[in-house]
Amino acid sequence: MTRRLLSLCALLASAAIAQTVPSYKQLVYPPLKQVKIPEPATFTLKNGMRVFLLEDHELPLINGLALIRTGNLFDPPDKRGLSGVMADVLRSGGTSAKTGDQIDEELEDIAASVESSMGESSASISFSGLKETAGTVLGIFKSVMTDPEFRQDKIDLTIAQAHSGIDRRNDDPQGIAEREISSILYGRDNSYGWSIEHADLARIHRRDLQEFYHRYYFPKNIMLAVYGDFSTPAMKEQLEKLFADWNPDEPPVPPFPPVTAKPAPGVFLAEKSDVTQTFFSLGLLGGTLRDPDYPALQVAVNILGSGFTSRLMSQIRTKMGLAYSIGAGWGAAYDHPGTFRIVGSTKSPSTAAAIQAARSELEKMRTTEVSEQELKTAKDAVLNGFVFFFDSPAKTLARVLRYQYFGYPSDFLFEYQKKVAAVTRADVLRVMQQHIDPANLTIVAVGNPKDFGKPLSDIGKVEKIDLSIPPMPALTRPVK
Amino acid sequence: MKFRALIFLLIPSLLAAQSVAELQKSFEKKVTEFTLANGLHFIVVERHDAPVVSFHTYVNVGSVDDPGGQTGLAHMFEHMAFKGTPTIGTRNWPAEKAAMDAVEQVYDRLDAERNKGPHADPNKMAAISNELAAAMEKADSYVEPNEYDRVVESNGGQDMNASTAEDSTNYFYSFPSNRIELWFLLESSRFLNPVFREFYKERDVVREERRMRVESSSQGKLIEALAATAYAAHPYRNMPGGWASDIDHFRRPDAERFYKQYYVPANITLGIAGDVNPAEARRLAEKYFGRLVARPLPSQYRTVEPVQEGEKIAAVSSPAQPFVIIAYKRPDRHSPDDAALAVLDAVLSDGRTGIIYKDMVRDKQMALGAGSDAEFPGGKYPSLFLFYVAPSSGHSSEENEKELDRIIQQVKTTKVDDETLQRVKTKLRAALIRKLDSNAGLASELCSYYVAYGDWRKLFTELDDYNKVTAADVERVANTYLVKEHRTVAYTYVPGAGAGKEGAK
Repeated sequence: MTRRLLSLCALLASAAIAQTVPSYKQLVYPPLKQVKIPEPATFTLKNGMRVFLLEDHELPLINGLALIRTGNLFDPPDKRGLSGVMADVLRSGGTSAKTGDQIDEELEDIAASVESSMGESSASISFSGLKETAGTVLGIFKSVMTDPEFRQDKIDLTIAQAHSGIDRRNDDPQGIAEREISSILYGRDNSYGWSIEHADLARIHRRDLQEFYHRYYFPKNIMLAVYGDFSTPAMKEQLEKLFADWNPDEPPVPPFPPVTAKPAPGVFLAEKSDVTQTFFSLGLLGGTLRDPDYPALQVAVNILGSGFTSRLMSQIRTKMGLAYSIGAGWGAAYDHPGTFRIVGSTKSPSTAAAIQAARSELEKMRTTEVSEQELKTAKDAVLNGFVFFFDSPAKTLARVLRYQYFGYPSDFLFEYQKKVAAVTRADVLRVMQQHIDPANLTIVAVGNPKDFGKPLSDIGKVEKIDLSIPPMPALTRPVK
Repeated sequence: MKFRALIFLLIPSLLAAQSVAELQKSFEKKVTEFTLANGLHFIVVERHDAPVVSFHTYVNVGSVDDPGGQTGLAHMFEHMAFKGTPTIGTRNWPAEKAAMDAVEQVYDRLDAERNKGPHADPNKMAAISNELAAAMEKADSYVEPNEYDRVVESNGGQDMNASTAEDSTNYFYSFPSNRIELWFLLESSRFLNPVFREFYKERDVVREERRMRVESSSQGKLIEALAATAYAAHPYRNMPGGWASDIDHFRRPDAERFYKQYYVPANITLGIAGDVNPAEARRLAEKYFGRLVARPLPSQYRTVEPVQEGEKIAAVSSPAQPFVIIAYKRPDRHSPDDAALAVLDAVLSDGRTGIIYKDMVRDKQMALGAGSDAEFPGGKYPSLFLFYVAPSSGHSSEENEKELDRIIQQVKTTKVDDETLQRVKTKLRAALIRKLDSNAGLASELCSYYVAYGDWRKLFTELDDYNKVTAADVERVANTYLVKEHRTVAYTYVPGAGAGKEGAK
């Protein structure tokens, strides 16, 4: 017993010596291994479709993504939501040979998928399947893209679901805050800012879907990326053959309508009775990734509100304990001004205090230079994490495709890296002053004002947001 | 015709089955496992394509282990695990430690006064509260804020976060592969010597998290009511976030006791996936994690949920559009019926061909969304097989409930056809293959399969279990478990407008 104890003591003593480990500050890191950045094969099919291929043999899968130059920015103002309905029924409404339900079964029998979706300034059709079934999946993908039937029963289904979605749009307070600040910043007369209403849906018909489809879904307007377990020459040949009989042509698609909104400063309140927190958003119209100040703005706004070490997090969450979720993003977009936003939520009684604190953190960024350590942390986070832009072939291919689609130079990311490395404390102060004018700030709060400790009017004159949902005009209600 | 259909069915599944067996074989070569003398278990997966590594720490403790009256404590500790150590996160540790201890002494006096109940002196309480605020401010003045997070982020760490569920607590992030040693240093230090600084500020943050996820979300409130109603005795009745008043009264020593009891090396599994050399990983594991002292495993939770003697109802008043959940009692994941329940779940609601989607969403259009979940809220203990519905506008919750009952009756009385069964099995196989393409996903999956089943290979071999499931098995488990007397129906209703209608239940 005693001996055992003794040897245990000796063991502990030696363990204590072994326990001396360095401080993280003393660690020296070996140079990072060279990243292998795969180069996709690119070519144009005879019908004009641009193709990007990238092999990845780790798993027996084949995936693809087609980008179509269109978007809900092309929705007619009296038929908001048309493009979204079209994209949904493109897949569910089947092809001339098969119903959508038949396609569902055929794809799921082989654990594959083909999906279609619509964004603001791009549409997509994607596919995924096991290698052995590539031929079948590609065949279905092609017929969904080139030969949609837009069957009426599925148009009815999608529109009925969209009506239900409208009825549910005020159930999630976070969602309300995001939607309303977009509406105020971009204006309600364009798809960045408008909401789809029951009356819009009632005006959408099958011929509208067909016209929208024919205007935008043609080979020269499509880029197709395929990655996975295949050989490039064989896939090239397969795609040439597959799309040989699809040759429609249309005039080039016009540019997307520009954003024309003016600043809309103010404090806006949407009342919601069934919450114990207020969800808030402070924002203004920002810029694009092309802006020469974009790298400095990213660094600046990251110091303000990105990650666990940002000022908003340190002050409002860690020091004040007023929020679980709080942060900010510069929000640059590829092709139009994005929105700078501070987003957070706090218990109802501290609504005004949390918003004030966020505003004051923003103001500090505009009046005093950040510390050298803050700048270094923000830059190191980007530069040391840079390798994660290249950690999978799928990511690389998606980026190549996106740069091509929006007309960005292929070395854009490396230029960004260089510019981030060169950002100074003075740059951070300058871009905060130049691009973020607090006089233009739009503040949206969604919450229960009965429980606000200090009234929201302490922050500024409050304008109420009407959340009521316009009912469907009686005459257009479909008869079932 | 019949023959052709048969070939069509067999070929893809046969190919997929082969490729899964091959995948497991090639996967074995990439995996290295070792256990340190103190009981910590490591699973290392080599994937050298890109110089990045993902790390996952899976602790076999969850909200089921929260002490009575302290629901949410496992989650509270999870937050504290980012607060640093005696060397990370402080400007002056001896002074900070003294100030933190002073906070507890003042808090003890406050609690002592509060414990007098109706005899407590409000003036005294207010005075001590002021003292407490001052003591906290002093302790906080020594803090180097968020240093732990800053080291991770400035070294290129990605997707750093943590989660607390009923069965487990998970910590995870990724680094460029030249910073592997930094993870070993940081991760071992926070579990060797965690310092619970800024405890009471973080308690407020945790309380805000509950307000956001539960109190301000109609579905959050509904799920909380479902769990609290379905379970009478077992702690699956509490959400991982805990009850508000429990959170408000956490003390730092509570979290420290919890840590000492449950964060013992043998209760922790670590997954590392990516550009990593297993021999180097082992050397670093010995060096850094070898510092943790072996301690006995905590006892497993003992209370067994008694048999439910009749249907239960939970009605939640909410101005939001209606939502319904119907949950049936089912056994834990080690039940021989587990695979058949997973297949039943997939038959009911996987993809666009699931019975519920086709019937209720697509054809009858009574639901905006509807589906099932074979295992809620966990798998370690007997849990719930649940159905959920968001009714379409113009369609009632009752109408949807009736239709769900009809579908359940159908799977109890009609065997699933071969084509459907085969399709589901093929999809389960493909889902596995798709899981294997991310470092973070692999590190997490291998840990959880190892902890749940004692072997990460179960990730692959559970496909054999699915494969053996017959249509008769599916019918049998539906009859065994989807029983009205053992279910709980939870729904939201609009006060006033919906009360009469729903009140008729």
